[in-house]
Amino acid sequence: MASVSSDEWRAICDKFTNAQNLTVVESLNDPDNDPFRSKYKARELLREIYCSLKSFEAGEGEEESGGETGESGESGESGEQLPVEAPVDGQTEEAFSQGFCGDSPAGLRAAKLGAVEYYLGVNHVDTEELSAGQEHLMNSMKLLGRCRVSSENVSLFIHARNQLGILWAGRDETETAQGFLETAESIYQRYMKEDGSPPTDMADYFSTEENQLTHQERTKRFELAYTHTMYYLAQVYKNLGETERAAIYCHSTLQRQLKLNQFSPMEWALNAATLSQYYITKGRYMEGRHCLSAATVISGLAGEVPSEAAAQESETESERREQLRQKRAEIARCWIKYCLNILQDSKKLLEDSIGELDTDRQEEMKRGRRLEEEEEEKERKSAMLFGSEDTFDSIASLEEKVRCLLPMDFTEARAIFLVGQHYVTQAKDYFQMDGYVTDHIEILQDHSSLFRSLAFYEEDLDRRCKMHKRRVDMMEPVCMELNSKYYLMIRRQMMFELAETYNEMMDLKLTLANRQDETESLDSHTIKKFNNLCSASAKYFQMFLDSLCSPEGKQPEHLEEEVLRPALVARFRVARLYSRLICTSPPGQVENLDKSLEHYKYVVDYCDSHPEAVATVETELELSREMVGLLPLKINRIKAKIHANN
Amino acid sequence: MVTFDLWAHTKVFDNVVTMESVFSSVAKNIVESCVNGYNGTIFAYGQTGSGKTFTMLGPSELDNFTDELRGVIPRCFEYLFFLINREVERSGQSKSFLCKCSFIEIYNEQIYDLLDTASASLFLRENIKKGLFVEGAVEKFVNSAAEAYQVLSTGWRNRRVASTSMNRESSRSHAVFTMMLESKESINEVVNIRMSQLNLVDLAGSERQKDTNTEGSRLKEASSINRSLMCLGQVIMALVDVSNGKNRHICYRESKLTFLLRDSLGGNAKTYIIANVHPGSKCFGETLSTLQFAQRAKLIKNKAVINEDTQGNVR
Repeated sequence: MASVSSDEWRAICDKFTNAQNLTVVESLNDPDNDPFRSKYKARELLREIYCSLKSFEAGEGEEESGGETGESGESGESGEQLPVEAPVDGQTEEAFSQGFCGDSPAGLRAAKLGAVEYYLGVNHVDTEELSAGQEHLMNSMKLLGRCRVSSENVSLFIHARNQLGILWAGRDETETAQGFLETAESIYQRYMKEDGSPPTDMADYFSTEENQLTHQERTKRFELAYTHTMYYLAQVYKNLGETERAAIYCHSTLQRQLKLNQFSPMEWALNAATLSQYYITKGRYMEGRHCLSAATVISGLAGEVPSEAAAQESETESERREQLRQKRAEIARCWIKYCLNILQDSKKLLEDSIGELDTDRQEEMKRGRRLEEEEEEKERKSAMLFGSEDTFDSIASLEEKVRCLLPMDFTEARAIFLVGQHYVTQAKDYFQMDGYVTDHIEILQDHSSLFRSLAFYEEDLDRRCKMHKRRVDMMEPVCMELNSKYYLMIRRQMMFELAETYNEMMDLKLTLANRQDETESLDSHTIKKFNNLCSASAKYFQMFLDSLCSPEGKQPEHLEEEVLRPALVARFRVARLYSRLICTSPPGQVENLDKSLEHYKYVVDYCDSHPEAVATVETELELSREMVGLLPLKINRIKAKIHANN
Repeated sequence: MVTFDLWAHTKVFDNVVTMESVFSSVAKNIVESCVNGYNGTIFAYGQTGSGKTFTMLGPSELDNFTDELRGVIPRCFEYLFFLINREVERSGQSKSFLCKCSFIEIYNEQIYDLLDTASASLFLRENIKKGLFVEGAVEKFVNSAAEAYQVLSTGWRNRRVASTSMNRESSRSHAVFTMMLESKESINEVVNIRMSQLNLVDLAGSERQKDTNTEGSRLKEASSINRSLMCLGQVIMALVDVSNGKNRHICYRESKLTFLLRDSLGGNAKTYIIANVHPGSKCFGETLSTLQFAQRAKLIKNKAVINEDTQGNVR
């Protein structure tokens, strides 16, 4: 800008610095009754800069275009006036092929004016004058539209579109926002492919020679602007319901934060751990494992947990200790879910119609393994990986500690189980029963589920039974201790689980006994054991049913939707348990069968009077109806026998 | 004013309604259940200036709570102690009641005790026997409606003092007054103990919920100065599908308020939301969002998820 004296230019630069300072620093201290004081001052300065720039000698090839405000015409103060049609952005192609060269005087002048328009736009948006803000931002885009994308102006191209994206999303015009942001994205990508040199930052337009930013700083700011584009697109896709795409953008936002070294370790780690939960619910264990490994490694960067002694010394240390311990425990809990889901998913694949391991399927799956492993190798090569130079290796070595392919047999399942159990211990260390009842029990429930999944692969029935016994041992004391008033829901879940576990153990014991001796009847010791397990199961189902009663102990006439199925299933199970109790005295038999019949009848009667319940318990209902028909005959037969013997 | 009973009904009151009619349709039933051992909660929700505090307390500086204009809370106290005395008489002194109150404020995810202004922020903790409690919160025993009202006024005054001295805006804080009721009844040597809680909640002005409202389509902005993208976690959280029944863990703790009132939302509790709205057309947007909030709140239910084994149960 030869025509401008250096003093004039310096005055402009000073004004700009002041405006920035007012916007970013001073505005934080504005009083409540005049919240935008500093922003209004900054606005004045920006307008002055704009006028000075306009008055300088125009560059070559300048054609005046309408629609430039800034001197006087303020819209937006008379209320919001939305344009009839929202502007649509899609300029990538043109932006690279036509217009002034970025470094020509005209190009530079347009970029500077565009930058002032941009800052004016942001200023108006900040002060809640959206229409005016939009107009300035659109002017900025128009000015830039006369230039080709180059290192001098590419940053402005992207910033202006980021802002317009935010603006339109705020108006609920998500598709319009999406247009601006996607254009920003493609401009960045094309620029990086075709040029890639560190671009001018907007602050450079108005700073004197001696204050120019370094190349490194320029690159960093530019990359950060694009990271924001990613972050806004993640939100836009989420709002459009495109979760898959949103997840990709969250993933790459995280990846870029790491690469640019712009993150706070604990926050980043929690976000990565949360993302892992998205992947595991979609059954994508490779990505899930990667996120978790990265979360663990990066959370380590937050430093050592202060000792208890240090925490007692100072408030800040105590706060820090609490934060670090809690967040690491949260990440451990995400790992537990990873192990649990991978075991449960493979169980679903391998089980037959009665929930037992189907060895034919197992063989078949194992044969398909090689393909899977190759597939995984391929995917890993194309995946978006986290890590900076210093963390990459630690993340990879952590990943190697646990598989991400579905386990196919006991050995593989056990390896995953042990990892899960390790994280259970870690999570329980922070979420202790005293102080964190709900969290602690959730972890216990997961631990129990891990055992349950592992038991599925165990072929030795005796050992399988022992695994279920472990579940009972960890659940039973807690369930009995819990205050039923405050922990009604959790207790219900635990009672149901205990009832099912005892039921499972009972079945295993019976199978074992029958295997041992096909010919002889069961010995008294086995019978006693069987009956104990049977009664324990019935007891917990009954406790669950009692928990549905009113404080006065009345049965509910109408079962709430969320307990409808569990309540009817519990009835059905209790009925079956009573009919399976082994009892040698005929009167005792009659008593048990009477109870059994009563519960079957309840299921049938309830479904008869509440037709909406039928669909939830079809199989159980069918069997109940059958038993309601059969049991009286059986009871009468036994009664007749008793009669004949007396 | 619109009230939402989370059990069934929605009632609309116009501007000329008496306090008596609000009380009898909203709170009476909840107080009765409370004496019978259920937990109960009454929320007041709405934008600043829509009359939440007026509804709950009555006109400010009203120490004489026999006034016709006294709010829902004083009326709850009166009715509660009326019922208690009646129960005690009826049972021929075999039934006895114990009442404790606490009064806390949640501001910026920190918990402050309004009955002990000297205390620093407090923690929420859980105990296997006591359930959820605010560790270190003062609990005051009360024997009459007048005493309960005394506790309430003290706390309310402290809330105002705190908001001026500590730079807390009371429109941005939630106040939770809790009455813990314990009844003992001995019938033929068997002692029957029942515990219940009545929570009276004055929620922060609804216009302040904007920052936390996830319904909107506004984008969370990232300032380039800040090293972190603050709300990325929330975006990711929204992607984790909760409906597919898969096992997952979410690292972000729920807000202190929802955590504290977990037992009141669904489960074995009765809850009422009083949505206060402003008749002015200027407040149309805010009014609409208040009503939408209350509508959403109606859908809250504690789900008792039972992890039943769907396979192999019929053998």
